[in-house]
Amino acid sequence: MLQTVKSTSFLSAPLRLLAVSVAVSAALCAPLAMAQTEDYAEVNRLMRAGQMSEALTKADQYLAGKPRDPQMRFLKGVIQTETGKPTDAITTFTKLTEDFPELPEPYNNLAVLYAGQSQFDKARAALEMAIRTNPSYATAHENLGDVYAKLASQAYSKALQLDAGNAAVAPKLSLIRNLFAADAKGVRPTTVAAATPPAATPAASTKPATATAPAAAPAQPAASGAAQDEVEAAVQAWAKAWASKNMQGYLGAYAPNFTPPGGQSRKDWEADRKARIVPRTRIGVDLSDINVTVNGDRASAKFRQAYSSDNLNVTSRKTLDLVKSGNRWLILRESTGS
Amino acid sequence: MAGWRTFQRGHASLPAAFPSPVSRTWKRPIAGLGALVSVALLALLFSSCVARDSSSGVALEPVNLGSAAQASTSTANPDQPSLLDSALAKVQDAAQGLTASRPSTGLEPRPLSGDALQEVLPKLGRAEARLIDIYRLISQGQHRQALVQADALVRDHPNFHLAHLVHGDLLSLQMRPVAQIGDVPDTKARAALDQLNVLREESRRRLRALTERPPEGSVPTQFLTLSSQSRHAIAVDASRSRLYLFENQTPAAGNGTLAGAPKLKLIGDYYISVGLQGIEKRLEGDKRTPLGVYYITSSLNPDSLPDLYGVGALPINYPNPLDVQRGKTGSGIWLHGTPREQFVRAPQASDGCVVLSNPDLERLLSTVQIRTTPVVIAPELHWVRPEVLDTERRQFEATLQAWRDTKGQGDLQKLKGFYSGRFQNQGRNLAQWWPKVEGEVRSTNGQRGLELKDLSLLQWRDSQDTMVVTFGEVAMGQSRGTTKRQYWARENDQWKIFFEGTP
Repeated sequence: MLQTVKSTSFLSAPLRLLAVSVAVSAALCAPLAMAQTEDYAEVNRLMRAGQMSEALTKADQYLAGKPRDPQMRFLKGVIQTETGKPTDAITTFTKLTEDFPELPEPYNNLAVLYAGQSQFDKARAALEMAIRTNPSYATAHENLGDVYAKLASQAYSKALQLDAGNAAVAPKLSLIRNLFAADAKGVRPTTVAAATPPAATPAASTKPATATAPAAAPAQPAASGAAQDEVEAAVQAWAKAWASKNMQGYLGAYAPNFTPPGGQSRKDWEADRKARIVPRTRIGVDLSDINVTVNGDRASAKFRQAYSSDNLNVTSRKTLDLVKSGNRWLILRESTGS
Repeated sequence: MAGWRTFQRGHASLPAAFPSPVSRTWKRPIAGLGALVSVALLALLFSSCVARDSSSGVALEPVNLGSAAQASTSTANPDQPSLLDSALAKVQDAAQGLTASRPSTGLEPRPLSGDALQEVLPKLGRAEARLIDIYRLISQGQHRQALVQADALVRDHPNFHLAHLVHGDLLSLQMRPVAQIGDVPDTKARAALDQLNVLREESRRRLRALTERPPEGSVPTQFLTLSSQSRHAIAVDASRSRLYLFENQTPAAGNGTLAGAPKLKLIGDYYISVGLQGIEKRLEGDKRTPLGVYYITSSLNPDSLPDLYGVGALPINYPNPLDVQRGKTGSGIWLHGTPREQFVRAPQASDGCVVLSNPDLERLLSTVQIRTTPVVIAPELHWVRPEVLDTERRQFEATLQAWRDTKGQGDLQKLKGFYSGRFQNQGRNLAQWWPKVEGEVRSTNGQRGLELKDLSLLQWRDSQDTMVVTFGEVAMGQSRGTTKRQYWARENDQWKIFFEGTP
C-alpha cells in the first residue's frame, strides 16, 4: 500500500544551483560537480545491481571525506533500509532531518521505516513534517494518505474493540530510492536535465538524436493545430485509462523508450505502477488547463492534474513529453511540477 | 464489608457481555425524536466540513448546532436556500416538534457553542468536555484542530471508545468524506455492528443532554424541599443517560412553614449507564435499574472491590419501603465506576447499577455525604421553577403538621387515622408497630407537643403518589430528638403513612 520513496529528488534544488554555476562560471567547477554526480551514480548503479555491500563501502568511502554530504548520507540510509537495517537507517535519516530540516525526503523515508515497524503515529508525524517542508510533495501526500487510513483503521478497531491482531500488517510505503525521480518534488527544468547527463538512463540518451531530426517538420500551422488536438486526445485517453485502471491502455500510452523516473527499469516501473493503481477501488484523474505545444513528431503537454483516490486528493502540475509513433502519440517522459 | 461477593450477582455484567441484548433494547423508542435530531445535527456537523473540504475556497456558513434549536427565523438567503439551509430547517422542524410533543421536561434547547457551551463545560467531566469541544470544532469546520484535540484525548484516555471512534472519523476525514459519526468501513462495521451502534447511541445521548438543558435555577419536580442536612442531591435522567449533581442551597424555613422552596445549584452533569434491560427494576436479576427516590447508604472501599466497579461504589437503599410494598426484589444497586479497559459503559450495560466514568465517580465520592444524599432515578426528569412546587409543598406540610400536632397532643386514636392499613416496617404490620408509636407518645406524656426540624420532602409519582419525608422529631423544650423517615401514599385523596422508621 504505502510507497517507499525511491529517489533523492531533494537534490534537484542544490543541483539546479550547481547547474547554474556550471553554465555561468568557470569550468573548474564542472569537474567537481561531475565527480560528485559520478559518485552518486556509481552508488546508485551498485544498488540497482543489488551489490549493496559494495554500494555501502563506496558510500562510506565518499562520506569519510564529506561527512555532511546530504545526498550520499541519504543513499546510505536507503542502502541500510534495503539491507534490513531499519534501526541504522532510522538513525541516518533522523540525523539528516536534524541537519537539513528543509528537505522532505528524509522525513518521508523515516516514515516508511516507522510504518514498517507499525509505529504509525511516528510515521504520521514524519510525513506531516515532510509536507510542512514541501506542501506539494506528492509521494509524502500519498504515503500520508495510507498512514491516515491505517491510523483510522486502528482507531476504529479500538473503538469497536476489534482484535487488532490481523490489522498489524504494515502497509508498504514507498521509499525514495534513486536519484532524480520525476514524481516527487519534481521540478525538473531543462537546465537540470542538461546538467545531469551522467544520471540519465541509457534509454534517454538515445533520444536527443531523434529529437533533433524532425525539427524541420514543424512549420505547418494547420497540421500543428490538428496535431495539438491529437496530442490532447492522447493525453485524455491516458488519463481515462489510468482512472479506469485499464493497465493495458495506461501502460500502452507510454513509448517503448519511455524514461521511467528515478532510473528505474521499465519492468520495475511497470510493476510499481500496477501496484499503485490496481489496488485502488476508485481513481479520479481530471485534467485542466491543458497546454500543448507540438514540434514535429515531438510534443509537450502541460496541464493541471487533479488526482483523487480512496484516500488521497492531490492537484499538481504535470508535463508529459510525447513522441509520435505511427499515428499515435506516446509518452516519452512524465514529470510533476510547474 | 458485607462484601462485593453478595452484591456481585446483582451487578453490572462483565464488559464482554454486551452483544445483542443491547441493540435489541434500543429499538424501544426511548430516545425518540430527540435522538433523531441529534443524529441529524451530527450528520450535518460532519457533512458541513466535508463540503468545506471539497469546495476549497467557497466558504460555507459554519453550521451552528444551536441554531437548529433556536427560532427558525434565520433563513439566510431567501432567493435560493442552500442545501444546508434546508437541512437545517428540517432539523428545526423536528426540534420544534420535539418541544411541542414533550413540553413537560422543562428543558431548554441550547447551542453547542459560544457562551452557552462555556457555561456547561465546567460542569462536565473533563474528558467529556474535551469530546464536546472536538464536536464544536468539527461543527465549525476546524477539523484539523479537531484532529489535534482528538489525538490528545485518545492519548490521555486510551480506553475511551467513543473518542477513538471520533478520532477514526477525523483521520478518515483527512482522506475522504465522512458521512456520519463512526463512518467505519463496511467490513469493520459488520464485525462489530452492535458496538458501533452502542457508541453512536452514547454520542447521541451525550449530545442530546448537552443541547437540551435545564434552565438556570430550575429543579426536578421530585424535590419539594430539601433540608440543609442534605448538602448535596443527585438526580438521574435515564432517558438521557445523565446524572445531575446538585449542591443544596435551600434556605431555612420561613415564618409558619416547615420548609422553604428548594434551591439546587447544578454543579455536575455526567454521562451514566443503566441496566442492560433498561429501567423499572422489579425482580432480582432482571438487569434493570430501579426508579424512585433513594438515598446513598454507604461508600465501599475500592480496595475490596473487583476492577469491574472501578474506583469505588456508593450503594443506594434499593429496595426502599415503597419497593418492598410492591414486592420488588433484588439488592446491591450501586453508583459505581468502570473497569480499567473501559472509560464508560454503553448506555444500557449494567445489571441494574448506575455506572459513571471513574473520574466522574471520583467527583461524587469526594463530594457527597452518605445517608443524607438523595438519589432520584427517573425515566425522565421534569424541570420546573422552584415556586411551581409551593402549592404542593404547602398542602403536604399541612397534612404533616396535623400529624405532628396529633402526636404531640397524644391522641392515639386520632393518630392511628394517619397510618395506612398497608403499613409495613421490616415485616411488621401496623398492629405490630403500634406499640412503638404508643411508647413514643407516652415518653412525652402527650403534653408538650412536637417540633419538626430539617424537613425534606421528595415526591414520587407513578401509579400512585408517594412522599418520602425525612425530619428531626423533637419534643417541645428538648434540645435533641430523633431523625425519622416516613413514606406516605395518597389513598383516596388522603395522605397515609405506610412506612415509618429511621433513615
